Amino acid sequence: MTNMTNSSIQPTSSSNPLKAITRFVGAENLSLIIALVLLVALIASQTPFFFAPRNLMNIGMNLSVVGLLGVGMTIVIVSGALDISVGSIAGVASVVSAMLVTYVGTVLGGVAMGVLAGAILGVVNAAIITYLRVNAVVATLATLSAYRGLAFLIAPEGRPIGVLDQNFAWLGSGRILEGGGFPGVPVSLILLIIIAAIGHFVMSSTVFGRSVYSMGGNPAAARLAGINLNRMKFYIFTISGALAGLAGVLVTARTSSGQPASGTQGLELEAITAVFLGGAILAGGKGTIVGTMLAVVLLATLSNGMNLLGIPTFYQLVAKGFLLVVAVAIGQWRMARAEKAQARAAAATGS
Amino acid sequence: MTDTPVLDIRGVGKAFPNVRALSNLSFDVRRGEVMAFVGENGAGKSTLLKILSGDYRLDEGTVLLDGQEVSHANPLAARRAGFRLVRQEPEIVPHVSAAENIFVGELPQRGGVVDFKQLRAEAKALLVECGFDGLLDLDAQGDSFSPAQRHIVEIARALKPGVKVIAFDEPTSSLTADETERLFALIRKLRARGLAVIYVTHRLHEVMAISDRIVILRDGRLIGVKETTATTPDDVVRMMVGRDLSYGFSRAETTRDEVVLEVRGLKSRWHRDISFQIRAGEILGFAGLVGAGRTELAKVIFGEYHRSAGEIRIAGKPAHIRSPSDAIRASIGFAPEDRKGEGLILVRSVMENASMAVFSSLARWGVLRNRIMVETVEPLIKSLEIKTPSLEQEVGKLSGGNQQKVVLARWLAAKPKVLILDEPTRAVDVGAKAEIYRLIDSLAQSGIAIMLISSEMPELLALADRIVVMHGGTISTPIEKHDASEEVILNHALGQRAA
Repeated sequence: MTNMTNSSIQPTSSSNPLKAITRFVGAENLSLIIALVLLVALIASQTPFFFAPRNLMNIGMNLSVVGLLGVGMTIVIVSGALDISVGSIAGVASVVSAMLVTYVGTVLGGVAMGVLAGAILGVVNAAIITYLRVNAVVATLATLSAYRGLAFLIAPEGRPIGVLDQNFAWLGSGRILEGGGFPGVPVSLILLIIIAAIGHFVMSSTVFGRSVYSMGGNPAAARLAGINLNRMKFYIFTISGALAGLAGVLVTARTSSGQPASGTQGLELEAITAVFLGGAILAGGKGTIVGTMLAVVLLATLSNGMNLLGIPTFYQLVAKGFLLVVAVAIGQWRMARAEKAQARAAAATGS
Repeated sequence: MTDTPVLDIRGVGKAFPNVRALSNLSFDVRRGEVMAFVGENGAGKSTLLKILSGDYRLDEGTVLLDGQEVSHANPLAARRAGFRLVRQEPEIVPHVSAAENIFVGELPQRGGVVDFKQLRAEAKALLVECGFDGLLDLDAQGDSFSPAQRHIVEIARALKPGVKVIAFDEPTSSLTADETERLFALIRKLRARGLAVIYVTHRLHEVMAISDRIVILRDGRLIGVKETTATTPDDVVRMMVGRDLSYGFSRAETTRDEVVLEVRGLKSRWHRDISFQIRAGEILGFAGLVGAGRTELAKVIFGEYHRSAGEIRIAGKPAHIRSPSDAIRASIGFAPEDRKGEGLILVRSVMENASMAVFSSLARWGVLRNRIMVETVEPLIKSLEIKTPSLEQEVGKLSGGNQQKVVLARWLAAKPKVLILDEPTRAVDVGAKAEIYRLIDSLAQSGIAIMLISSEMPELLALADRIVVMHGGTISTPIEKHDASEEVILNHALGQRAA
């Protein structure tokens, strides 16, 4: 009979709360938490402003936009694709929501139309990818440009649109549970936590989520197991587009203006970096919302720290690019290590 | 035939973390002989080959090749010294020609420019020498090769000048009976030329047919070296497994009356007018050469490939199958030949792989219910005796036999009426093979209609109630079990109907 090696046996579940946390976060993401703690210690030792309530609020508000994109991007990357048009989609949604709030006077309509606009642009991405069979990276690179142009086209004279509505602004910069020395929690952060929790549930416990993992892990096998890949791509890119739309709405609310470009440009890079840093791999089939969210917090903290320490923007851009490379390289290194271990196990058990 | 050892293996040992892969192996391989390595998965055959080929470093002992020590060679050095390994899964460059694939890394050149004329001539000469001329178009692109053609390229690579020992690792797993004969002819020719040939396989009848001596390994130890003519398959199996195991397998007929799968006048890119029926509890075997269109037929029926004409009926009702999900809805299951490429999601868990075809039936409002998943998968893991430390184990970390059982578990979970099995025991060791045979038998007993595609004749003869042979896009009339023999099938497969 076949000999099972003991080398691959995983630790079984335990009642130890620390282990329970490890399981939820994922053992591979513990390094993210350690990195975060070290980073916070480093920044706090250099500047007293880091722990100022106002600064923490700022980090919270900043990370919610990237966080929303990160939720969608995790789904896309786990499925084995990439969506680099999300920043541009957010730009369009930002303009659309600002126009509705300012010219029509409907806050709810502004939010809804922003999200809807994002979803529609996501559907367009999916249509290009499935019907025209264009590779996802190329398709969304094309729409990255096209949607950015669209945002300028629909904004009157291509200018930002001011938004004065206070209810709408509350979404971006309001906070709840304020008082008694406690600075409160940003509304946008609450929104992110809700969306991320839903995302986590969808990815871990629904037919849709598990199918995303399957198609990312091996599209041929997933199709032969009855998963309709084209339909899945429509769902995935629509979700990614809708979340990018919501992120765009937040940008408008935050800055009190509908921005065709500033505030949303380059967001795709940050979202993608966060997903890879959070443990996903380019080949697909791996990655979690929890990992991405930890990475989003880490990146927002890093960015905030660099601002506090007065590091010029140009250096920050270089650092962001560097981080993406590091994130993917770590993923590749992990894969290679896992493959080696697998090869060793296979060799040990025969052909 | 001379008796000079060309390969001398002395006290070789190798350990991996937690596993002792080989201990104190000593034997030699002589010029002009075919030496078979047999043993179950885990016996150490692959590890030994990889030490000889320079892929692994040995921990103890020495290896002498033609008197020269090659114990610590890297793959290139081992190759240069004259050891050539024909791998089970050859590396093929997808977008270059067959000729370039054969000479990859060693392209003939003139002044830094590839000399395509010479390349073609040399590649052609190699193919003629191997006896595979005509089976491979030298201009064909790597990604268009059939598994057999990939193997031919790999063999041609190995036979380039300087070869002293050539090792074949499961060479026939993707070859048809006819191609296997050609390979055997080649091996006999190489032996006559004075090369030493190492032959590693799970297929004992091949070992008996081609080898001069047999090295039997178990758990990394040398159990014995036998003269082939002085031993029997049963003896070898007993030494391999360390216990008695009946080599053959026979099953009682379980065919019932009702027709479950009926295919009428099916046409596609590969097929002209195919019609057949499978009854409940029946196993219909599909024989034929690789490339005859058997796998394609399975995929056409399963909705993966387009059907240009014809009708598929399940239990008497027409099934409208235009995609795999339609086929699954029509109660068809399909375990593909390429387990890793098309069957499994190696990076995901046993539980996910076993349940993915029935996700929606395990969910309420799209939310998977973990308890029901476990209740569905766990009994299957138990009844199929899948050896896995947990349901969360990544499938890629299981052995070949257990991986195949996970694919079967997936389709058992779907409770199909029709099950299509394409080469279900490819690269599975002897013990696990017998288990899979028993499983297929019990599936038929439960009333499932089984379409069994296999290139292993003994497998078809043991399992199938009737056998059809595919040739030139059509199939023969079914051959009843008691009329079937290897000769009859082979004659049909080669298009010689008169037999």
